[in-house]
Amino acid sequence: MRGKWLFGGIVGGAVASLALAAGDSVLSAAENNTPQKTIQRVDAQLRTEFQDVSVKVAPPADDATYLRRVWLDLVGQPPAPKAILAFVHDTAANKRRRLVDTLLADERFGNNWAQYWTDVIFYRRSEERALIGARAATEYLAKRFNDNDSWRDIAASFVTAEGDVREDGATAVIMAQAGRPEETVSELTRIFNGIQIQCAQCHDHPTDRWKREQFHHLAAFFPRVAVRPSRMGPQRTFLVVANNFPAFRRPNANNRFAGTLEHNMPDLNAPSAPGELMQPVFFVTGEKVKIGTDDAFRRSKLAQWMTSDKNPWFANAFVNRVWSELVGEGFYEPVDDIGPDRECSSAATLAILADSFVASDHNVKNLYRTIMATEAYGRASGPRRTPIETPFAANCSQPLRDGQLYASLFNALGVSDPATAGGRPGAGFRRQRGPRVLFKNVFGFDPSQRRDEVGGSIPQALTLMNSSQINRAIASREGTVSQLLHNTDDDQEAIVVLYLRVLARRPSKREIETCLAYRAESPSRREAFQDMLWSLINTAEFKYRR
Amino acid sequence: MSHQHQNTGRTGSHPANLARRRFLQTIGAGGLAGGIVNWPDLMALKAEELRKKGMACIILWMQGAPSQFETFSPKPGHENGGETKAISTAASGIQISENLPQVAKVMDRLCVIRSMSSKEGSHPRATFLMHTGYVPTASVKYPEIGAHIAQQLGDSASELPSFVRIGRSRINAKGGFLGVDYNPYVVDRAGGIPDNAEPATSTKRYRRRLALRDSLETHYAEHGGKQEVAKHRKLYRKSSQMVMSPQMSAFDLSQEPEHIRKQYGDSQFGADCLLARRLVEAGVPAIEISVGNWDTHFDNFSRTSELCGQIDQPFAALIRDLEARGMLDKTLVVWTGEFGRTPRVNARGGRDHYPRAYNAVLAGGGVQGGQVIGKTDASGESVQDRPVGVSDFLRTICHSLKIDADIEHMSGIGRPIRVVDGGEPVMEAFG
Repeated sequence: MRGKWLFGGIVGGAVASLALAAGDSVLSAAENNTPQKTIQRVDAQLRTEFQDVSVKVAPPADDATYLRRVWLDLVGQPPAPKAILAFVHDTAANKRRRLVDTLLADERFGNNWAQYWTDVIFYRRSEERALIGARAATEYLAKRFNDNDSWRDIAASFVTAEGDVREDGATAVIMAQAGRPEETVSELTRIFNGIQIQCAQCHDHPTDRWKREQFHHLAAFFPRVAVRPSRMGPQRTFLVVANNFPAFRRPNANNRFAGTLEHNMPDLNAPSAPGELMQPVFFVTGEKVKIGTDDAFRRSKLAQWMTSDKNPWFANAFVNRVWSELVGEGFYEPVDDIGPDRECSSAATLAILADSFVASDHNVKNLYRTIMATEAYGRASGPRRTPIETPFAANCSQPLRDGQLYASLFNALGVSDPATAGGRPGAGFRRQRGPRVLFKNVFGFDPSQRRDEVGGSIPQALTLMNSSQINRAIASREGTVSQLLHNTDDDQEAIVVLYLRVLARRPSKREIETCLAYRAESPSRREAFQDMLWSLINTAEFKYRR
Repeated sequence: MSHQHQNTGRTGSHPANLARRRFLQTIGAGGLAGGIVNWPDLMALKAEELRKKGMACIILWMQGAPSQFETFSPKPGHENGGETKAISTAASGIQISENLPQVAKVMDRLCVIRSMSSKEGSHPRATFLMHTGYVPTASVKYPEIGAHIAQQLGDSASELPSFVRIGRSRINAKGGFLGVDYNPYVVDRAGGIPDNAEPATSTKRYRRRLALRDSLETHYAEHGGKQEVAKHRKLYRKSSQMVMSPQMSAFDLSQEPEHIRKQYGDSQFGADCLLARRLVEAGVPAIEISVGNWDTHFDNFSRTSELCGQIDQPFAALIRDLEARGMLDKTLVVWTGEFGRTPRVNARGGRDHYPRAYNAVLAGGGVQGGQVIGKTDASGESVQDRPVGVSDFLRTICHSLKIDADIEHMSGIGRPIRVVDGGEPVMEAFG
C-alpha cells in the first residue's frame, strides 16, 4: 500500500483528490457520528480561558498549512502538489472536515499511528533483542487502528498478551522489558495510564502519593509471566508464556525464563533475603486478587482495572497524548508523567474530551475527528509559549517523526525509496543496515519526550546536507528537478511547483525573487534548481509540521 | 533540552553554563577585573580550567567479553587455565598470556585489575552497565561514560565532536538524558574523512547552497517558526563549520607519516588506534573503539589467540606513541569488555559468560604502570582480594580524568542521578 505512493507522488496525489471528491461515502454511519457538542464545548472552554488575560490568539491556519498538517498528522506523509491545488481551490464550506474524514479512512492512518506507538514502547526497551518484535507490534496496531477498535480493548491486549513475539504484536510491552515484573508494570502504567510509579520501586516518592508497597503490589500481577527464547521455528524468537507451575526458583530472580509463583518486595536492608510476599493490588482503585490466583485471571483483572471508567487516568493518558501530538502541547507534559499530583494546563478541557472519549467507548477515530475540528487544532502555528502564557492560543510546530520525515524526503526528491522497506510496518526498527534503519538511527526520537526537547543533531544536518544518496537523488534523471525542467521552461512556474512539492505551499513573492536571483547567478538552470531543492530540504520548515 | 538536563551539582555544563563559558572566553580578564563575574561564573571558569588540562580518554572496548585467562590473567598451573601459557613482561613479576607479546613489552606502563566483578551476565545488559554504571531501565535514559566525559571536558568552541566512537558497537546508551549534543559521533572505521562529513559538491557551490538555504529559512521564521529556525540555523552553522574545518583532517590517516602507521600495523584496529591518537591531539576528549567477536563459546583458545593477534601490536603502539609525544600522562587508555569467561572450559573448547571475576586494564592518565590490582583464587573462579565493582571502575576513570562523578543531573522525570552511583575509585592504581 504505502510503497505505491512513495513511487509516484503525482499519482498518489491524484488518488487522494479522487478520494476527496468521493467524500463522505467512504465513511460508515457509526463513524460519521461527529460529536459536535464536544467540539463546541472545548472551543467555548478555551475561549473562556483566553478572556482572563490579554492573550494573542493565532488566526486560523491557511488552507495549505492546514492541509499539510492534517496529512502529516493522520497519514504520516505530506500531500502531493495536485492534492494541494485541489484542496485550495475547493470551495465547499465543510472541506476541512471532509479531509479529516477521508484520511481517517485511509489505511496509512493506522500505519502512521502504529509506528508512533511502536516507538513509544520500544524506545524504552531494556532488552535489545526485543526489537525482533517491533514489526509485529506495528502490524498489529495498524490493523486495530484501521479497524477502529476500542482503545480499551487494544490497551487490555498488551496486559494479557501471550505468544510468539514475532507473531503477536500485543506482546511488545512485555517483551521490551524481557518480562521482568517491575519493569513491565512500570511501562504498562506509564504507557496506558500516564503514571510514573516506578520511582516508588525503591523508596516512597517524595512528590507523589504512591508508596513503595503499592508499586510492589502492582508488580505482583506479573510474577508468573516469563519471556523464553525459542528456536523451534525457522527463526530464533521469544515466547511470552504464563507459568503457573514454575520449578522452584529464588523469589525475584531474573524472570526471563521461568517466572515465579508470587512477587516478593525485597528488603532494602537485606537484599539477599527473600523479602515480603505481596498480594496483587491495583494502586489506582485498590482492587485486588488473592495470592495464589493463576496468571490468566490475575492479568485479566489488571487489564480490566487499568482500563476501567473508574480509573480516570486511562482516558486522560490517551486524550493527553493525542491532543499533544495534534495541537503541539499536552495538557500534561511530559505526556507520560500525568496523575493526581501533576499540574494540568486546562483541566476542564481535558475533562470534556476524556468524558466524551469514555462515552464513545474509547473510539479512537472519533477522538481524532473531535480534536481536529476544534479551533485549537485549526489555528496557525506559533512559537511555544512561555510558562506564564495561556496554552493553546496557537498550534505549536512539531518536529517530524522519522517516518514522516522519511516519507517527506522521498516525496520531495521525487524518487522511489531504495529500501522498499520504507513504509512497511515496523520498518526502521529491525537490526539491519538498510537505509530506513540508518535513517531511524539518525532521525528517530522517543515520542514520549517533550518536543521542544527533541534537539536536531549534527549527524542529522550532515546527512541531509552531504549524504551521497540524497545528493544523487537530487541530481537523478527521474527526480524532482529533472521533472520540473522537463515540464516547464518558465522558471517562476518551476519554483512554484518546487515549493508545492517540498513544503506543500506556494512560495512568497520574496522567495520567488530570491530563487530567481539565484537562478540568474547560477551557471545552469539545472544546477540552480538542484541547489534550490537541496536548500529547501535543509530548512527547518521542511523538518517541522506547522 | 534545558528541562531534560538540569544540573543540580556544582560544576558542569548546563546550557546556561556553556553560554556563560563562551561569554567568559570573550570577556577575558578585563571582565573578571571589572567584578561582573559571580560565583556560578567562577565555577564555570573552574570547569574551563579543568578542560584546559587536556585530559582525554580512549576506551578500547572488547565487545563480546574477552577471556581473562587468555589475556591478562593466565592460570597456567591450573586445569582451568587450559593450554594458554604465561609469558614474562617488562614489569618484573607480572606475567600475562602468551597471546599478547607486544603488550607484554609495555606492561610497565599498564595496570591490570584482575578482580573485576559484577552480576550481569547478559551481553546487552552488561555492556550497558559497564558503560553507564546502571542497569537499563525504561524510566531513566542513563548516559554512557563517554558522554559524561564529553560533557565535562568538551570544548564548546571546538569544531570537532567531543565524543567519537570508532567501529560498530552494541551499546545504545549514548548521551541519554544529557541530550543529543553528547551522543557519540560514530565512525564505522578509521581511514579517510567519515561519511557525510564532506560536501557533496565543490566547496564554492556548497557555500552558495548554504547561503541560499539560510535565506530560505526566513519565511518560516516570520510565520510562527522563530524558535525552530533560530535553533536550526545554529545547528547548520555548527555542522557546516565542522564540514569545512581544517581540523577534520585529523580523520585522514593518510596524513600520518609512514613509519608511524607502520608501528600501528596493518589491521583495522591499528588504524582505529592511530585515529584515536590523532583525535586526542586535535582536542577530542572522549573516544571509544569497539572490537567485536570475543564471545568465544566454542574454540576459545584459537579464537581468542587470533583476536589478541589483532589487538596486540596496535595496543602496544598506542601506548608507546602517546608516551613518545608526552600525551600519556593526560590520556587514560582503558581496555575492557562487558564481563569475563567461565573458568571451566566447556565441551566445545569454549568458555561461557562469567561476570563474577574478570579483568580490565588501565594505562596513562596518572595511572601507575607495572602493577596488578586484585587477584582471584587458584582456579580463577572467585575474587580473593580487592574486588572492583563497576561503580568503582567508573569512578577510577573519573578520578583519572579529574571529572566529577558526584554531579547530579536531573533525569527526564525530575529524579537526580549521579554520574556514578556509589563505589570508590581504585586509588592504588595511581600509585
